[in-house]
Amino acid sequence: MSEHHKENFITKYVFSMDHKMIAKQFLLTGMFMAVVGMLMSAIFRVQLANPGESSILYNLLPSTWLNDAGGLNPDKYLALVTMHGTILVFWVLTAGLSGTFANFLIPLQIGARDMASGFLNMLSYWFFFIATVVLMSSLFVESGPASGGWTIYPPLSALPQAIPGSGTGMTLWLISITLFVVGSLLGGLNYIVTILNLRTIGMTMKRLPLTVWALLITAILGVLSFPVLLSCGLLLVFDRSFGTSFYLSDIIINGEVLHNEGGSPILFEHLFWFLGHPEVYIILLPALGIVSEVIAVNSRKPIFGYKAMVGALLLIAFLSFIVWGHHMFMTGMNPFLGSVFTFTTLLIAIPSAVKVFNYLATLWRGNIRFTPAMLFAIGTVSAFITGGLTGIILGDSALDINVHDTYFVVGHFHIVMGLSAIYGMFAGVYHWFPKMYGRMMNKHLGYIHFWGTFICAYGVFFPMHFLGLAGLPRRYYSNSAFPMFDGLSDINALITFFALAGAIVQAIFLFNFFYSIFKGTKASQNPWKSNTLEWTTPIERIHGNWPGELPVVKRWAYDYSKPGAEEDFIIQTEPLKDGEIEH
Amino acid sequence: MTNILIFIIVILVIATLVQIVRVGELLSEIKNKDVNEVSDKDNNTQGLLFLIVGFGFLIFVVWQMITWNHLLLPPASSVHGTQIDLLMKVSMGLIIVVFFITSPMLFYFAFKYRGKKSNNAYFLSHNNKLEVVWTVIPTIILTVLIIFGLKTWDNAMNVEVTESTKLIEVYAKQYNWTARYSGIDNKLGKANYKLVKGKNTLGVDMLDVNSADDKMAREVHLVVNEPVLLKFRSQDVIHSAFLPHFRVQMNCVPGISTQFGFTPNKTTAQMKESEGEDFEYVLLCNKICGASHFNMQMKFIVETQEEYDIWIASQDNLEKKLLTQK
Amino acid sequence: MDIALRNMVKKQLLWISLAAISMFFASMLSAFIVEKADVGNWKEFILPNYFVFSTGVIILSSLLLFFIKPQLKKEKSIFSLVFSVLILGIIFSYFQIKGWQQLTNQGIFLTGVGSNISGSFLYILTLTHLLHLVGGLVGLCISTIKSKQNLYSVNNYLGLELTAIYWHFLTVLWVILFAFLKFY
Ligand code: HEM
Ligand SMILES: [Cu+2]
Ligand SMILES: [Cu+2]
Repeated sequence: MSEHHKENFITKYVFSMDHKMIAKQFLLTGMFMAVVGMLMSAIFRVQLANPGESSILYNLLPSTWLNDAGGLNPDKYLALVTMHGTILVFWVLTAGLSGTFANFLIPLQIGARDMASGFLNMLSYWFFFIATVVLMSSLFVESGPASGGWTIYPPLSALPQAIPGSGTGMTLWLISITLFVVGSLLGGLNYIVTILNLRTIGMTMKRLPLTVWALLITAILGVLSFPVLLSCGLLLVFDRSFGTSFYLSDIIINGEVLHNEGGSPILFEHLFWFLGHPEVYIILLPALGIVSEVIAVNSRKPIFGYKAMVGALLLIAFLSFIVWGHHMFMTGMNPFLGSVFTFTTLLIAIPSAVKVFNYLATLWRGNIRFTPAMLFAIGTVSAFITGGLTGIILGDSALDINVHDTYFVVGHFHIVMGLSAIYGMFAGVYHWFPKMYGRMMNKHLGYIHFWGTFICAYGVFFPMHFLGLAGLPRRYYSNSAFPMFDGLSDINALITFFALAGAIVQAIFLFNFFYSIFKGTKASQNPWKSNTLEWTTPIERIHGNWPGELPVVKRWAYDYSKPGAEEDFIIQTEPLKDGEIEH
Repeated sequence: MTNILIFIIVILVIATLVQIVRVGELLSEIKNKDVNEVSDKDNNTQGLLFLIVGFGFLIFVVWQMITWNHLLLPPASSVHGTQIDLLMKVSMGLIIVVFFITSPMLFYFAFKYRGKKSNNAYFLSHNNKLEVVWTVIPTIILTVLIIFGLKTWDNAMNVEVTESTKLIEVYAKQYNWTARYSGIDNKLGKANYKLVKGKNTLGVDMLDVNSADDKMAREVHLVVNEPVLLKFRSQDVIHSAFLPHFRVQMNCVPGISTQFGFTPNKTTAQMKESEGEDFEYVLLCNKICGASHFNMQMKFIVETQEEYDIWIASQDNLEKKLLTQK
Repeated sequence: MDIALRNMVKKQLLWISLAAISMFFASMLSAFIVEKADVGNWKEFILPNYFVFSTGVIILSSLLLFFIKPQLKKEKSIFSLVFSVLILGIIFSYFQIKGWQQLTNQGIFLTGVGSNISGSFLYILTLTHLLHLVGGLVGLCISTIKSKQNLYSVNNYLGLELTAIYWHFLTVLWVILFAFLKFY
């Protein structure tokens, strides 16, 4: 917006309406939550490697979570898993990823002074912040935080008698997620309207960088699917607190016969996964957008098949609304319905394959510059290949019979969603850090961080497929109860080793990040020699992004190494030469 | 005390790191270079690392497939399971092939096209022919997979229930399983959660004529090569009945009745021969259901008709168990 | 941003929010439909008369809103118009509450022993609709005050326009809900 207020400390750093500051707030909150979520996974991995034994890591936990021998209580294992999943899915990879990069990149890359509504944008962050506080506070209630899995299936999540975490902890979880959804919706509305209306002169939809396309489609997915989570949650709240029976029927719990009749837990699953599946693309697509940009810039080549890339994004987004049933093949659903969901699910593999091939084609005959961001971008493609392929197994209802809810699933979604998106997020941070803080992140530490992460992450998640194929169910506190799993302890120990090593490697990133904010070498205006508009803004952060007139766009974002040009990049504001054709 | 020690160590490590990074930066300042500028040398090392670590990863994958192969589930012990195994083999084979084509390509491209200041990339924005090719090929492969998959699914789920199909109810609750046999009439008596009381832990309606001959047990005996239909109910939260060796899984949902029909085709004794003396078929819970979710199990035994007849005869029927006072 | 663009942005923000709200109700309504088909002990209910009245009231209120633009063009006061819509909105809310009373008299409860999910759905759907309507009432209050102060003109009545769009949306939503509850 054109009016520029005088900024004081509070309006600059706390209740800021500047999209760049809000982006940083999202990023820092997301990073904090990532550390919390990662520590949780380290803790429960230790339990899985040494079931029932104590560990110094448990010092981080409230003492009521431990038994007399210092081991972790089974229901608190589930609490950790639940909070880990919730935090990483919603807090880190939805808000942390979209919140950061949508806020940061949309105005800068489309040539706008700020978001359409700075106020809504600020509100969006503060809803998210309060949601964070509520979620964290649930860790400290006496009966423990929500423990029914991040998917909070009732009746388990509805009945405190079934697991202690379904008491106050679950109530706080629901409040927190409601605030979170409201925040996300406010953000999403803003992103969509901004992209549709505030593009600078010449920035047609056909010239939009793929990051912005991905963020737009993500926002649309969010706006259409998050409300369903609200209605799903609302019915659960009524069942939990006001005695309705939407999801409950025929239940005896701890010897108590409940009056509820007629409800259906399966209804909950339908509503939940109607959000849940689009949610995984809400996580993934921004990462793919970032990766498209980073790969093009650092291969010094145009992204291959821009139109196909946009088309694939659109197709994936559309299909993501009609595949939710693949999470429910084993609920006793009508087999014909199962067939339909198998069909739609496997269709998603087609646009996904197109994306992978297009990335490969972009690298082909490039002049690749390995910045840390580029390493992570290639890492994303690798994870997307590895994890996407196992999706073909899980999407096939007949095969899902035996791998549903086993560690095979855990391996699959961590690689395709967790790793792809986390790598994409790292790529984004390394790539746009100079724009965010005016300084460079240390390259060597970045390299070490990438290789450490790459090795450890595959070390953690690839072996999980074998656990799953051996029949090991997920969400098991210990696998020592079944003799048939005795042979798997070596694999479990290996996974835990890599998980702990991988967690330590992340400290390098944290160090690099904070060190570079204060001490990093000063960045030049366009350190990666990139075409997009954000690099035409001055290094000093200003409210309004461009000091004078807004830039005018004359070409698409991907003119790298164009024959006939003096340099291997042409900024989007550069007019087409006589006789030069676009692309 | 340990906490303080850990804290001090962390501080020291951070301080050291700061120093190392500072020194690195100063050194390159002396040499008049930008530390964070990516040089040709960096490109060479990183490209090479992609080749080495990338292919290292592929080798790691192969190593896992070889060393851990014996840990995977043995071939299916049921008729439909054999088909699922075939589908699994085909799908796995296919994705492994695609994996071993695309991943090496990615790592190799990263190495091969590592940058050099003096080089130039090849400007190529799209190629419709290529794009059509790599849209059509996956489409064809997937069509085949979908058709094969749906056939198998159909086969597994739409089992024909005939006179001879044995009916067994599997009842789930936190944290154990109970089985109910349909008895001589092969019909399960009605049940209702409101009737759960005392010894009648399944809430069987003893006024129903079909109930009297039903039998309750804490393990399930099946006759080899005889079709069986498992009917599932749950008392409290969602559980999932998972019989990995038979390729059987179905959720048990309170208020809703679900089922899964199959035909076991290997006896426990046969399996013990091939898999070792300790082998047992087990039923696991595969849907998070509470603190002892990880330990909710029941034994399944597949045996010959004669063995089965002896066992079933030794079990009291419900009439005797519930209605006669001791 | 110039005024025209800013108005457009605000309108779009509203339209997209309406899409989100629609998804909320669509999911709830499909849950209702699916459950009705599935549940064994679904208890039928008779929709209270008051809901029929309230349907008439809200449609009438929506119709009134269409006269705003012509009035503004003629530079006449729109106070009485907006005020009557507000009053109709309040009457609608009152009828809804009366309708619930009728329901409880019928023995249809939201929760507790003796409640049935058919009734629970009925209450939830009408309740969430009414909650959304409260937002509309707030908007109408503001618009009423502003129109009393003659702050609106043909070229400058965005706030009122947004309220009107939202109000129409609530009307359509109610009619759809009503139709499903009554005839499905
Ligand atoms: C730091 C490295 C990580 C490790 C070692 C790790 C490990 C695990 C393990 C072993 C489980 C399964 C536990 C069980 O089922 O008993 C799990 C669950 C889960 N993880 Fe992670 N994970 C990591 C990072 C991530 C990331 C990046 C994501 C983001 C998508 C993520 C999302 C989830 C989700 C959604 C679940 C399911 C939670 C549930 O069952 O309710 N994790 N994690
Ligand atoms: Cu899904
Ligand atoms: Cu269970």
